[in-house]
Amino acid sequence: MAAIPGIGQRHSAVGSAPRPAATRALGRDWKIAWVFLLPLVLVLVGLVAYPFVSGIILSMQQKVVGQDPTWVGLRNYRELLVGEQYSGIFWNSVRVSVIYTGVAVAVKLLLGMCMALLLNETFRGQTLMRAVLFLPWAVPTIIVALTWRWIYDGSPSGLINYVRIEFFEQQTLIQFLADPSLALWSVIVVAIWQGTPFYTMMFLAAMQAIPTEQYEAASLDGANVFRRFSDITLPSLVPAITITALLSTIWTANSINFIFALTRGGPVNATMTFPMLAYEVGIAGARQLGLAAAVSVLFFPLFIVAIYILTKRMLSVEGRA
Amino acid sequence: MATTIPLRHPVTPSPRHLRGKTIRNVVLFGGLAIFTVWTLFPFLWIISTSIKPDRDLYRRVSLLPQTITDAHYSEVLFETPFLTYFRNSAMVAILTTAVAMLIAVLAAYAMTRLSFRGRTFVARATIVTYLIPAALLFIPLFQIAQQLPFSGEALGLVIIYLIFAVPFSTWLAISYFNTIPSDLEDAALVDGATRLRSLFTIFVPLALPALAVIALFTFTHAWNEFLFALLLIQRDSQKTVPIGLAEFVVGDVFAWGPLMAGSLIASLPPVLIYIAAQKWVVSGLGGGAIKG
Repeated sequence: MAAIPGIGQRHSAVGSAPRPAATRALGRDWKIAWVFLLPLVLVLVGLVAYPFVSGIILSMQQKVVGQDPTWVGLRNYRELLVGEQYSGIFWNSVRVSVIYTGVAVAVKLLLGMCMALLLNETFRGQTLMRAVLFLPWAVPTIIVALTWRWIYDGSPSGLINYVRIEFFEQQTLIQFLADPSLALWSVIVVAIWQGTPFYTMMFLAAMQAIPTEQYEAASLDGANVFRRFSDITLPSLVPAITITALLSTIWTANSINFIFALTRGGPVNATMTFPMLAYEVGIAGARQLGLAAAVSVLFFPLFIVAIYILTKRMLSVEGRA
Repeated sequence: MATTIPLRHPVTPSPRHLRGKTIRNVVLFGGLAIFTVWTLFPFLWIISTSIKPDRDLYRRVSLLPQTITDAHYSEVLFETPFLTYFRNSAMVAILTTAVAMLIAVLAAYAMTRLSFRGRTFVARATIVTYLIPAALLFIPLFQIAQQLPFSGEALGLVIIYLIFAVPFSTWLAISYFNTIPSDLEDAALVDGATRLRSLFTIFVPLALPALAVIALFTFTHAWNEFLFALLLIQRDSQKTVPIGLAEFVVGDVFAWGPLMAGSLIASLPPVLIYIAAQKWVVSGLGGGAIKG
């Protein structure tokens, strides 16, 4: 094969001395680069890759806490998908997870967009308003959950029941967290309350990157508020909406805190999302670690799509910045 | 005539214009009012509960406190290990933030300013790691952590919290370092500064807004984390605030007064840091993370 002219010459033009083979193969600064990267690589391999692989191995073992594991191949998966004891509760957790995540993400997206549009206007007290509306994001989730548990309390002391009795003259008490038909919706409301500010933040950041000239031009053309939103704001926000919604889908589906502190998956599994199920199977009740690991692994394919799209988007954003 | 015109409003607003402005204001301030009530009522309920005597909480219930008491606060602070939990949380959160930022700054510098093979691979691995949900890892991590020597101690949590903190911080730092022009550094390197010196004397000072956002997010995350603390910490002396508070609930008996008092105190550090760093949050996110 003939050497392509130009490629070798560029090298010799930059460095005057001939470069050692290692530098040519690994890059100019490879030594110092990997020294700088070593801690990061240790975290990625030791804390993520290793547990990830050992989780997959664990899912093919029968392992009770405190005992030696035995290899069972795919039996845990079969047990969850079609087995007599666990398939019912597993498929229930699929349904609950989908409703919980889908509804929470959709409403957070909608409310976050409204909030960001309002905060993007110019008015007196704008900075204070932003600080106030972002507050729920900073409060520990467990405290949010405990507070809402108190708001939902099924006795006349709970805020909502108190207000209903005192101001609306209702006679009955609503059991928001103990009624199987209400519990999931009650938990979703809490997830929305805390999760919306993150969307607002991301959308607001993206809105402020839109050049104001675009709006001025549209105003001169006589476009009204709705036209300006659908023709300028919304198209510019598509990347932010995609990234935010996908990130939030991963986080919402995998968070256990609200459900743990509000209902623990009950009543009668009405709020048993899959991480809660993994916790109940692996740590709280039966202490079947292998089975619990299989629950998590079975849900992973759902997130691969989101992770794939996000990685591509985030890398391309990084490259352009 | 000619002298009076400039003093008047240049354009007399048409009735249509005025109506548009009124509608805008109604929608704007009406919307803001609804969102403010929705956001703030749980906070008001926390505060109100924490200063009401038990009698007003359970028997003669009222929205606003009739009499104000500090009984719940003194109970939380002096009759429970709350202060120990608080100290543990502070230590864990500060240490997590410091270690994560150091690792992130080094790695981000290497990935934005050094030329080596494997750059893209490491960048991609960092993002994928950031996205891998903790729920997928908590069962195997629980099993692994039980065999480690520091398991059960608050300091051991720092290592676990790096799982989230490091990839996130690195990614944000990369996006920000990319916006810093390279001429600045080239000049310093010609003068004979080492890579490490140029990183800490040129990049870190320029990246302060991004570092503030990174610190805010990692501190808040470590301060608020619940699941791993619950799984790994058993001894009272090692507990962090979130699991400590959750245990104020004994069985089905909720001591709401002390619980809400403790919740209020526990929310203060992240909320105060958030208010202090607030002006950088939107610009920090916009400057790097999601600029599309």
